[in-house]
Amino acid sequence: MKSKIMTMNKAIDEFIKDGDVVYLGGFIQHEPYAAVHEIIRQGKKELTVSKSAGMIALDQVIGAGCASRIITTYVWNPLPRPAHALRRSIEKGIPHRIQIEEYSILSLTLSYFAGALDLPFVASKTLLGSDLMECSGFLGENKLRIIESPFNGEKVCLIPPLKHDVGIIQVQRADSTGNAQAWGLIGDSKYGINSCSKVIICAEEIVDTEVIKKDPNRTIIPGFKVSAVVEEPWGAHPSYVSGYYDMDWRFFSFYDKATETLEGFEDYLKEWVYGVEDRSGYMKKIGKKNIGELRPKPWSGNAVDYGYCHKHQEDYLL
Amino acid sequence: MKYSADYTPIEMMIVAGSREIEDGQVLMVGTQWPIITTMFAKKTHAPDITICYEGGVVLDSIPDRIPLFTGDPCIASHSVFLNDSLDTLGMILHAGYPDIVFLPAANVDKYGNVNTTCFGDYSKPKYRLGGSGGACDFGCLGKRVITMLEHEKLRFPESVDFITTPGYLKGSDSREKAGLPSGTGPSAVITTLGIFRFDRDTKEMYLDASYPGVSTEEVKEGFQWNIKVSDNLKVVDPPTQEDIRVLREEIDPFGMYLKGNKAKRISTL
Repeated sequence: MKSKIMTMNKAIDEFIKDGDVVYLGGFIQHEPYAAVHEIIRQGKKELTVSKSAGMIALDQVIGAGCASRIITTYVWNPLPRPAHALRRSIEKGIPHRIQIEEYSILSLTLSYFAGALDLPFVASKTLLGSDLMECSGFLGENKLRIIESPFNGEKVCLIPPLKHDVGIIQVQRADSTGNAQAWGLIGDSKYGINSCSKVIICAEEIVDTEVIKKDPNRTIIPGFKVSAVVEEPWGAHPSYVSGYYDMDWRFFSFYDKATETLEGFEDYLKEWVYGVEDRSGYMKKIGKKNIGELRPKPWSGNAVDYGYCHKHQEDYLL
Repeated sequence: MKYSADYTPIEMMIVAGSREIEDGQVLMVGTQWPIITTMFAKKTHAPDITICYEGGVVLDSIPDRIPLFTGDPCIASHSVFLNDSLDTLGMILHAGYPDIVFLPAANVDKYGNVNTTCFGDYSKPKYRLGGSGGACDFGCLGKRVITMLEHEKLRFPESVDFITTPGYLKGSDSREKAGLPSGTGPSAVITTLGIFRFDRDTKEMYLDASYPGVSTEEVKEGFQWNIKVSDNLKVVDPPTQEDIRVLREEIDPFGMYLKGNKAKRISTL
């Protein structure tokens, strides 16, 4: 298959259009911050951004004015403190009031699952009784429905499928055709990224397909569904990628304090997003010392074995 | 066994929470206080508990640094099962396996409903909080939901502005009428002032047990409504000296949860 490797700049320019419904993958780890920053630099507008759970990626697309709508389960900053750009937007309409559609993690993951399988809906017992069921945003009546189960009459919550124009995730490794491998905490990522018409894979490493084939259980999306592959080491900083780098707790503290005011948020963007050309420029600012401190101590096991025996099949044909 | 004479209200809350756990149980655990409470239980009287987190984690051992939240990078290498949210919130929680579900909260009301969404009107909130995460799923589906939070009056309105996580809704049978599975719902609210449970019929929260040295008046002062008090009010034992040693030296040696200035950073408000 043809290589889909390209720069982040080209991938975002080519595959994300203003007004798109965009899925941001990653559940705490695997968050595509390098891609989010490129979306902001390119000034994408009117996006509907969907993300189940994570840190400050949504806060940044809200504050930078790229998103007009978000679909999520929470925007904390990152420990359980409300994110500042989200608060400014929803409480005061600064810089503009975004529309929000909220679910719980299970229901939103089921919605991605339904989108990925192209199911008409899935049914669940979660959300019943919650005001998340009562209050809807831009999806209105299409957010959720309650019906009586045709099987036993009990009340069930129907969750519609959520599909995305484009999905982006940062993973451990991928080959040039987009077979993408991720491990560690997965959350909603496998269902989310498979519910997207176009997929941008950002990988810590590009590896040979032979490496992928030595452990294919790790592949969360097959290459044929992928549009672009970007080699982007440290693309999930300040969040983490298991085995590659730890969370940069200090950076989250810094972001929390720095973005408390609108001016502070704009200064953050000027310095860390607009002020750098790409992720390698960003990591230069983070600095070698900090980078060194974020490298994890190894925790690798024995390679798994997928071997089989050729001979038996011949016996079967005799 | 010697009781400690030197413990904080937070430490009392953690120890009280851990006493709700029996060894061998399966626990679905939310972020913040539930993390340190269940780690402490596993280190002391309940070594065989299984701890599950929303992102796809099943832990059977205590990480060498205390997780600051349920997505902490240290969790992956201490898991016996690590997959996705449909595994833990679906095939474990929705399927009804957890014996106890532990939740943090910003706000809890008279019927155990939890708000982590907003203060004021949802469409134009005075103060916007982060949102549900998996909390709503925990509260909808948990057989025995235990909520833990610092006791401040502003956290206990008679009725929350937004029900993120259903408790007993409007009391009596309103939870079952809403369609939530029978046998699920709040079991206790454990705070820095006492242990609260729910009336079997009305489902209203009442003070079931107070902590040593905390008066009933002080507890009542911590609510925006007139909280009922059990006719059979108990006083819990304080933490033992060993409890406090294990908490401070083994579970949280850097005081991420236990030292005031650091703990402020993990507060929901």
